[in-house]
Amino acid sequence: MSDGRIIKVSGPLVIAEGMLDAKMYDVVRVSDKNLIGEIIEIRGDKASIQVYEETSGLGPGEPVVSTGEPLSVELGPGLIESIFDGIQRPLDIVRSASGDHIARGVQVEKLNKTRKWNFEPTAKQGDAVKAGDIIGTVKETSIVDHKIMVPHGIEGTIEEIYSGEFTILETVARIKTKDGIKEVQMLQKWPVRKGRPYKEKMSPSTPMTTGQRIIDTFFPVAKGGTACIPGPFGSGKTVVQHQLAKWADAEIVVYIGCGERGNEMTDVLMEFPELKDPKTGEPLMKRTVLIANTSDMPVAAREASIYTGITIGEYFRDMGYSVALMADSTSRWAEALREMSGRLEEMPGEEGYPAYLGSRAAEFYERAGKVVCVGTEDREGALTAVGAVSPPGGDLSEPVTQATLRIVKVFWGLDAALAYRRHFPAINWLQSYSLYLDRLGDWFTEEVALDWNNLRMETMKLLQEEAELNEIVRLVGFDALSLKDRFTLEASKSIREDYLHQNAFHEIDTYTSIHKQYRMLKAILLFYHEGQKALSEGAFYKELTTLPVREDIAKAKLILENDYESFDVLEANIRDQIASILSKGGKIVC
Amino acid sequence: MYMYKIGVIGDKDSILGFKALGISVFPTNDIREANRLIHKLARENYAVIFVTEQLAKDLDEAIGEYKNSLTPAIIMIPNNRGTLGLGIDGVKKSVEKAIGSDILFGKEG
Repeated sequence: MSDGRIIKVSGPLVIAEGMLDAKMYDVVRVSDKNLIGEIIEIRGDKASIQVYEETSGLGPGEPVVSTGEPLSVELGPGLIESIFDGIQRPLDIVRSASGDHIARGVQVEKLNKTRKWNFEPTAKQGDAVKAGDIIGTVKETSIVDHKIMVPHGIEGTIEEIYSGEFTILETVARIKTKDGIKEVQMLQKWPVRKGRPYKEKMSPSTPMTTGQRIIDTFFPVAKGGTACIPGPFGSGKTVVQHQLAKWADAEIVVYIGCGERGNEMTDVLMEFPELKDPKTGEPLMKRTVLIANTSDMPVAAREASIYTGITIGEYFRDMGYSVALMADSTSRWAEALREMSGRLEEMPGEEGYPAYLGSRAAEFYERAGKVVCVGTEDREGALTAVGAVSPPGGDLSEPVTQATLRIVKVFWGLDAALAYRRHFPAINWLQSYSLYLDRLGDWFTEEVALDWNNLRMETMKLLQEEAELNEIVRLVGFDALSLKDRFTLEASKSIREDYLHQNAFHEIDTYTSIHKQYRMLKAILLFYHEGQKALSEGAFYKELTTLPVREDIAKAKLILENDYESFDVLEANIRDQIASILSKGGKIVC
Repeated sequence: MYMYKIGVIGDKDSILGFKALGISVFPTNDIREANRLIHKLARENYAVIFVTEQLAKDLDEAIGEYKNSLTPAIIMIPNNRGTLGLGIDGVKKSVEKAIGSDILFGKEG
């Protein structure tokens, strides 16, 4: 391969000459320290290389060797439960090799090559197979069956297939193709910047339930959809992302910690093995892949971490799984792009971000989707991408947020004012939107309740009315409102405090199933409707709003899952107590 | 032409006389019932509702509710045991609101 020499070093950017046969996006080894880099620009025989490690101490004249391969991830059993850095180096192995901080040029295997996995074939000798077909499974963790697929570019009949314990490098099947016999191992490689192929992209039609009331009820994201969470510092982006990673109704979760605080990744690492998946009862870690490029790790690797993560996500999607990918935060990724772009002396776009920021963001989010996977079987897989965005100063008009909003279909806008009032999750219900609502309506009608969509719309209407009424209150004072309007304010307050507010750190409140959400919402609206009726029939407003049943409504979030009897009791209580203030006589108590 | 009605709510002894004038009377001593009655009469096209002060003192909510609407006009009247001064207070407040100072009862200076 070509042998180049460094002529310039500028932070993570190295320029080398004599790179005649190098190609764009090839991985190179820089200097004797063996630093990993990637070619991002070529002019004549000069190549610009972004180096994924510290470049201090490098100087002109040092060698640069191209590996001739694009930056790739290794895919195979061993991904789940691992924590990788931005270029898929397992951090636990790196730590035992180099200590708490990643040493430069450390060379580790991306996946464990010595561990034996129990391969159970599902195809048999003589079967005609093509790329993407499943030939066997490996029980990777107690909840994930890792399906071994025929690698891309291979098509033919199975000559031999084995069963038993193998490492990922050993041959598990031999396939006779028209170019001769090909040996198939469990390990596959895939370049991170290229989306894995699929047969057909489908329109998403099922929601990815998350157990978060405001998200599932008002702004649901579809399986295979895209969402973004922009919010100023301290408004709870990371907590929302963690909640999604914990409770999202997905079989595999890929969590990319991109340029955020190391402690936040530590939280994930400490919590996930202890938390139980509500469906299987197994630790959540057994379905999770973590990619960590914290703020103290090299900038260039941050750029790669997003692609590494989504390629792993696509790989599991191809097995027919529903995968959820969280990226926290894409702003740091965009800043990495900006830093590289600046050093490359490219013409800057808005706020110094490169002009191609929008297309890069689109490239990333477009890799999400609900697809028919390649293979004869026509499996359906979904990859849902959720990206956090940290706009400086909470200003949503900045380029990264705008570029993201152009592509994603769900917008959960976090609000500093709500966070300041300790209303969490601080998702602003008036600004946020989900473009999947229409498409998912049928699912909710069939799976939850016939009146779900009406209920949702009415609740949203109440919240909008609240905003309008608050305007009036600010102008002419609370006394100008009629009793009915005051009661509307009470009801929307109840929706805000008893329904939308959700404590992520409370054992029961942290997750609410969609059926429980329906019953909670129904109880709140029942009180509103019955109350409105009672008011027009001459009930005392003061008495109505201090009924003891209101406390029970507030406590409804703590009713256990599946305990629908408690909700029946609650509804009966609402009716009884309102009826009783209408029928009884005597002095009022309040 | 549509006919509006006049009603009076209060204790029986105080309001029975109104019946002779052709006004509907709704005798009650119960505060809750009085509240329900006001809302009911408002719905049933009563343009003027007289309420005894003894009842009205606990009916701020309902009276406040109709204060800014054209009908019904809720007017407080003394009962057979004398006045509590609520009715006059109301007039005083309305005058103050309308012209900016109390020209009826205010002391000068």
